[in-house]
Amino acid sequence: MNRITVETLLQDLASRGLNGEKISEQQIKVFASKDNFVNHLHYLQTIGFEHLANINGVDYIAENEFEVVYQVYSYEHKIHIVFKVRIPREKPVILTVVTLWEQAQFYEQEVHEFYGIYFEGNKDLSHLFLENWNDLPPLRKDFNTEEFSEKLFGSKRHGGGK
Amino acid sequence: MNFNSYSLTKIAKEDKDTTYDLFFGPNHPGMHGNFGYVLDMVGTEINSVRPNAGQLHRGFEKLMEQRGWVQNLTLVPRICVMDPDPNEVAYCMSVERIMGVEIPERAKYLRTITLEMSRLTAYLLAIGGFGGTLGHYTPTHWSTADRDLIMDMFEWLTGGRVYHIYNIPGGVRSDAPEGFFDKLLEVMDALEARLPDYDSILFENPIVHKRLKGLGYVSKEDARKTGLSGPNLRASGNAYDVRKDVPYAAYPYLDFEIITQEGGDALTRALQIRLEYEQTINLIRQAVKKIPEGDVRLNLGLLGNLKVQAGEAYEKVESSKGEFGYYIVSDGGTKPYRVSVRGPSLPAGFLWAQKHLPTMKIDDVAAWMGSLSICPPDFDK
Amino acid sequence: MFNINSLEQQDNQDKLWDKVINYFRKRSLWMLHYCTGCGAMELPPVMTSRWDMERFGIGPMATPRQADILLITGYSSVRTMKRIIRTYEQMPEPKWVLAFGSCTVNGGMYWDSYNVINNLGEYIPVDITIAGCMPRPEAILDSMLKLMDMIQAGEAKAFRKYKENYAYYKANQDRLFMERGPVLESAALRYVHEETEGGEA
Repeated sequence: MNRITVETLLQDLASRGLNGEKISEQQIKVFASKDNFVNHLHYLQTIGFEHLANINGVDYIAENEFEVVYQVYSYEHKIHIVFKVRIPREKPVILTVVTLWEQAQFYEQEVHEFYGIYFEGNKDLSHLFLENWNDLPPLRKDFNTEEFSEKLFGSKRHGGGK
Repeated sequence: MNFNSYSLTKIAKEDKDTTYDLFFGPNHPGMHGNFGYVLDMVGTEINSVRPNAGQLHRGFEKLMEQRGWVQNLTLVPRICVMDPDPNEVAYCMSVERIMGVEIPERAKYLRTITLEMSRLTAYLLAIGGFGGTLGHYTPTHWSTADRDLIMDMFEWLTGGRVYHIYNIPGGVRSDAPEGFFDKLLEVMDALEARLPDYDSILFENPIVHKRLKGLGYVSKEDARKTGLSGPNLRASGNAYDVRKDVPYAAYPYLDFEIITQEGGDALTRALQIRLEYEQTINLIRQAVKKIPEGDVRLNLGLLGNLKVQAGEAYEKVESSKGEFGYYIVSDGGTKPYRVSVRGPSLPAGFLWAQKHLPTMKIDDVAAWMGSLSICPPDFDK
Repeated sequence: MFNINSLEQQDNQDKLWDKVINYFRKRSLWMLHYCTGCGAMELPPVMTSRWDMERFGIGPMATPRQADILLITGYSSVRTMKRIIRTYEQMPEPKWVLAFGSCTVNGGMYWDSYNVINNLGEYIPVDITIAGCMPRPEAILDSMLKLMDMIQAGEAKAFRKYKENYAYYKANQDRLFMERGPVLESAALRYVHEETEGGEA
């Protein structure tokens, strides 16, 4: 397979209806819609982007949206794609990519735990890290960690001084 | 009469009630860090496995949103205790990418030197870990003592033994003290002179070979697809190294080849660490030789009030365990909007545990964990 | 044959006997091998040749049932706390707790984290706290020597506090581990997804 450059990749993706931006010579970001992003990820996988480094969420509370970010890398083309999918905050449901990458199971569990995003098709969304947790998923912007710590563990700002 | 049918395992397999849950860790001498597996056992054979993570979860990603850009440097190295510097460098690189600044050449070399020193400490721990998990404590004692040579160098350079916080956005904190590089080269000579000892006691030891050969096999394709990285990936025959593929710091100026091996099992991964250990010593020597004079840090104004323009970037660094990636989103304020950390251990610690362990006996679990260099803090975060 | 004439004599004898016991006790301490946090990274140098705690008669022990010292090496998350308490209660008396680093005093740099307890002393009694993040090996050894002095003088008695004030410790522990409702009111904003059959409405 020939090595493709960031520019040709962006053109290729644009012809498939995906908007993208260049971040650096070896990195681009791509915006996909939640309806067909799995197809796009599958396409990327077939042209050599086989390394899923991470899945993480971002909470854009001002725009009332969550973003699920897939970090995808190609060993052949040596290009990293920051693949971004926006979903509404009121109904944070998105399709799973476990069928494409096995390790996505655990990344999705993690995102579910920390953002409350549901991955449709993922059979096991149990908590990996937190125990006895009844509050908002902690990485959401409307979860106040300082207040939580103050109430449950009795923490004090500046160690109680000042 | 078939002897096997009378062994405990065979009898137990017929009776479903004799399976039992064994908590391997967190309080277990063979466990690396505060992490555990709940093993469903029949006799000494493992039926299924459930990772028992979260004991080290501190909510780093949330805390980083509460603190300033430079304050976060105290948090990031604590994500991986054994190999802290890749975190600092990846975080700083991400911030610098968003800011669009290029650090001075001398700072790049100093970063490279600290990264490689940190890699050496982690490899020495890994070598000790191999010994310890196989019940062979001599290499553990040796490597801990050898590791302290580098820790002393770190203390001289940065003031801290374990956590250095030497890299900051815009370069490194301060220049190396006088005489540091000469002493560093001496330490490298001393460490290289120790390698034959390690070879004879561990890497050429027939017992170690017997124990590790064939354990935890990962094929070339599987390693690429499931997100393994670093020495684990290269030991399965994939020539991928962030230092070469997405060059950062001073690696483009240094001369080295990606070491790959074809084996894919625990023994190959152990030998991979041995080979890369030698390469690391070589890299430090090259960097010390080539380091230019000049500034070590850009003037970014008052760092306490550092503001980073809106933007996002994902930067990665090759650590001793694999790819450490920092995805940072900035909204232009004095605090990051979101920092997401990609730790190298998750695919091995969770996914490969479920693939490998059900074919293993309890005796091999600790050695298997050591061979995949699973470091729990980086997925617990 | 001891001839015990009066209570006073008995007391004196007990004191002498305690001194002898304490002398031997402080010379053979078994430290539980449980790395609860990142401070465990400085233990290998302390255990092996460079600082060599074995010259003071301190050795690592794999099981809590035969250990004397519990090292809390740094921050402890809620899940770890549960395991620490279980471990602590399994250890036979006399037992001592050494708490490592700033995070065991007030949470240290994790003071506002949603998953890290702030003051270890609220959940189990602590004998000695070592300052620093992370403490140097010398500090660890120093604290162990101090503990030995305290044992000789009969001062290291935090484990008795646990029995005497059990209600206090238990209440604090229950606050973390018992079934509880949400801590913050914002929890009402939670979204609960219900799987719908036959496609999304």
